[in-house]
Amino acid sequence: MAGKALKRMVKLDVNGTCYERELEPRDLLVHVLRDELGLTGTHIGCDTSQCGACTVLVDGEAVKSCTMLAVQAEGCSVTTVEGLGKMGALHPIQEGFWEEHGLQCGFCTPGVMMAAVGLLAQYREPTEEQIREGLEGVMCRCTGYQNIVRAVANAAERIKATESAEIQAAVAHVGERS
Amino acid sequence: MTVRFEQSKPQFTGARVERAEDARLLTGRARYLDDLDFPGTLEVAFVRSTHAAAKLVSVHAEAASRMPGVRMVWTAADIHVTLDSPEFGVNQPVLAKDEVRYVGEPVVAIFADSRYAAEDAADTVEVTYADLPPVLHIREALQAETRRVHAERPNVMYHQEYQTDGFEEAFGNALHHLSATFTLHRQTAVPMETRGCMAAPDGATNRLHVYVSHQSPHGFRADLCKFLGVPEHAVRVIVPEVGGAFGIKAMFYPEYVVVALAALRLRRPVKWIADRSECLLADCHARDGIHDVDVAFDGDGRILALRDHLMGDSGAYPAVPFCGSIGETSLAARMLTGPYKIPHLSFTIDCTYSNKAPLGAYRGVWGPPASFVQEGVVDRVARALHKDPVAVRRINLLQPEDFPYRTASGFVYDPGSYAESLETALELVDYDGFRKRQREDRSRGVYRGIGISVFVEPTAMAASEAGDIPYEAATVRMEPTGTVTAALGLGPSGQGHETTMAQLIADELGVDVRDVVVLHGDTDSAPYGGGTGGSRSGTIGGGAALTAGRKLRDKLLALAAHLLEADVADIELKDGAAHVAGVPAQRLTVQQLATAAYTDVNRLPEGMKPGLEVMARYQPTRPITFSNGTHIAVVDVDVATGQIQTVDYVVANDCGVLINPTIVEGQIHGGVAQGIGEALLEELKYDTEGQLTTVSLSDYLLPTTHDIPNIRIRHLVTPSESKGGFKGMGEGSLIAAPAAVVAAVSDALEPFGVMVSSMPVTPDQVLEWIDADQEKKVDSVDSKVYFEN
Repeated sequence: MAGKALKRMVKLDVNGTCYERELEPRDLLVHVLRDELGLTGTHIGCDTSQCGACTVLVDGEAVKSCTMLAVQAEGCSVTTVEGLGKMGALHPIQEGFWEEHGLQCGFCTPGVMMAAVGLLAQYREPTEEQIREGLEGVMCRCTGYQNIVRAVANAAERIKATESAEIQAAVAHVGERS
Repeated sequence: MTVRFEQSKPQFTGARVERAEDARLLTGRARYLDDLDFPGTLEVAFVRSTHAAAKLVSVHAEAASRMPGVRMVWTAADIHVTLDSPEFGVNQPVLAKDEVRYVGEPVVAIFADSRYAAEDAADTVEVTYADLPPVLHIREALQAETRRVHAERPNVMYHQEYQTDGFEEAFGNALHHLSATFTLHRQTAVPMETRGCMAAPDGATNRLHVYVSHQSPHGFRADLCKFLGVPEHAVRVIVPEVGGAFGIKAMFYPEYVVVALAALRLRRPVKWIADRSECLLADCHARDGIHDVDVAFDGDGRILALRDHLMGDSGAYPAVPFCGSIGETSLAARMLTGPYKIPHLSFTIDCTYSNKAPLGAYRGVWGPPASFVQEGVVDRVARALHKDPVAVRRINLLQPEDFPYRTASGFVYDPGSYAESLETALELVDYDGFRKRQREDRSRGVYRGIGISVFVEPTAMAASEAGDIPYEAATVRMEPTGTVTAALGLGPSGQGHETTMAQLIADELGVDVRDVVVLHGDTDSAPYGGGTGGSRSGTIGGGAALTAGRKLRDKLLALAAHLLEADVADIELKDGAAHVAGVPAQRLTVQQLATAAYTDVNRLPEGMKPGLEVMARYQPTRPITFSNGTHIAVVDVDVATGQIQTVDYVVANDCGVLINPTIVEGQIHGGVAQGIGEALLEELKYDTEGQLTTVSLSDYLLPTTHDIPNIRIRHLVTPSESKGGFKGMGEGSLIAAPAAVVAAVSDALEPFGVMVSSMPVTPDQVLEWIDADQEKKVDSVDSKVYFEN
């Protein structure tokens, strides 16, 4: 029968939770995330890996989940927008997007944010050119990208500020002990 | 009283309030259509025509019915609904019957347990076609001997003529004339969320619940009920989060009828989500027009008369409820003189059927073509007279003393900052400095050009792609806790109405913006309204929010005055409380007032009804309010590779009073990006057989981060007469941008005698021009001597 194959049990680690599901080898990671695990924050915008709305992190790297089979993600750690941060404890990238109006309809936003998190892991203080280069694989039809670029720069600043605050706190702590 | 209240404003109106929507959008908690799921939902796959024009010889779907997971298969024999367009005498069967008229037309619908199963079954369907000669070009369709797309109707489906009195004389007497043909290729909106629809019979109410990614909840319900033949109270339309719309989601499509009828037939939820190929094939398309233009002008560059033969390709059927070709051409014709004082206008409009997808709305609709023509004309006059394009604009632009201004087509412009917007944008971009640098650049073989687009945007029109609803409605209810629930008939898709409408209502009621929740998109909760389209929501919807808010405020003031034993004129309402002017201690919180209004009704003043809930409709006094502004683009053209890069972009924008500048700027950014796409990248290409060859985003090119520069914006404010002083602004940036970008390309390639007359401009086109750069230079004003692509 066309396209049908035996299902098998697949273990997936998504946002720190381990899931076991019976899947067809042809099942795409994005479909499994959305339809099997109910993680609908990851979106599908094109089916041909151009738009990047489905971008998630696989072992910390930005991956378009419409181009990856779920079985290929076995043994990897997958992070989706639902694992990024929550209200009251938002990830700096979410704060940056909110503050800089980096989103309008919000459909591409989870994918763009995941791509940006991948980018920020690579560049601590990215230049505008590096941000634009790093986000070339994600498409947004609403914002014209300008506020997205600002949002990523904003997030980089936030991460840097948090880190330096942590270092200062650690230094102060050392000072107290001595 | 009013004055005192106004003094405490604005707290939120005009402020850069962060969006309420973003909390759910940023955390993955938003629910778009495909995120909704009900137990037992069937999914749909459509088998679509692979032929542009053909008789359907046979459709064999029996094998599909026997495939695992398949619950039902429909062909035209099973569903007899047609999308009727009585005014054209043409009806589209929701599944093609006897004949297919465009590639992508739905032929068979397969309902299965999953989309995977439905698609597997779709592969087994066998359709036999007998080809007919496809009609693919407007000029061809205009010929009487061309095969008719609809045998019973002529291919010319719309014709209109108009001419100002004295046109021929003014045109004939002018010193100079030139002619040009402007061509706009096919495009479509491509919202990142594809189109879709889910229908679910509701056991509790015995109604049909229809979830759809759409811009006009009530308009959609009206169309669906009309085609299904059911009364409107039997259908509840719910528009979930919408991932971009841009006009294509203001349209009604055959798939929606199929989904709704299948749900009724099977008594279970049925869902269809378009994949991207389906969107490119079967979302409504846009543009695809030709303008044959003649212009008469004097030696100073003053434009005296303009003539245009506008031709629009309607596709195979008039899109419901808005035929795009007619919308694009008829409004373009009337807006053709734009911000310029051109006294004489003559136009002829012809719209024709073709074997291509139906043409509907895409942001800006008529605007990008009209701006392209209007600014193209000005630039051609300037080049013909060896004048700077700015000088010719200054001579022709409407000045402050000209308002209100009646155009040659009879529109009356309300006041705007037309001339000021040009000067502001020139200053922002440092135009004079640019011209100096440009000469040096050219001597180094660097071709950098600058393009100007001064635009007028008719907004908040009584009729648009959002329908013929000239008003909007809002309900505003203060709950017993003092918080506020409002509902509007709008259909936002990223414009942030939950925030902007809350800003307006919060200011009226003197409460925190976070204490106002704005509902929309559900015909059960929203008052009947027109939805979102035609840049109407801020002006008409905002006016409705203000009207309802003001009505509720008046009641709160009267109640507070009674309870505080003060004159109503002395009551101030702000920061969540009503107090007597000058006596801050004498106060009641809105919560205390609300509690009294609902539960302590014996304390209400005589004649006051319990509760704090109002509904109000707002219809602007003017049928249209006109926004305006100027865009200037700077592009680099690499004459070795043909690549065009937009390197700088400035906007001076006047949309009257701003509700939220951050949101306005976001709209401008996005519109400019779409405009750069329209000018340089996006084209739906049909081959000679009528096959669409651009069916994925690897062929249909959208702008990416590298295509869009940072945009510098300056706001000008000429308030409208509308309540609040707002003007619409959702489309102006896309209306203006393509003209600015192609003008910049023309300017960059001026040494090669190039004047762009077709969009999009591609690297191949640039290289052709460079290769063909022969001795053709502009040397006389009356002859058409520069290239027309």
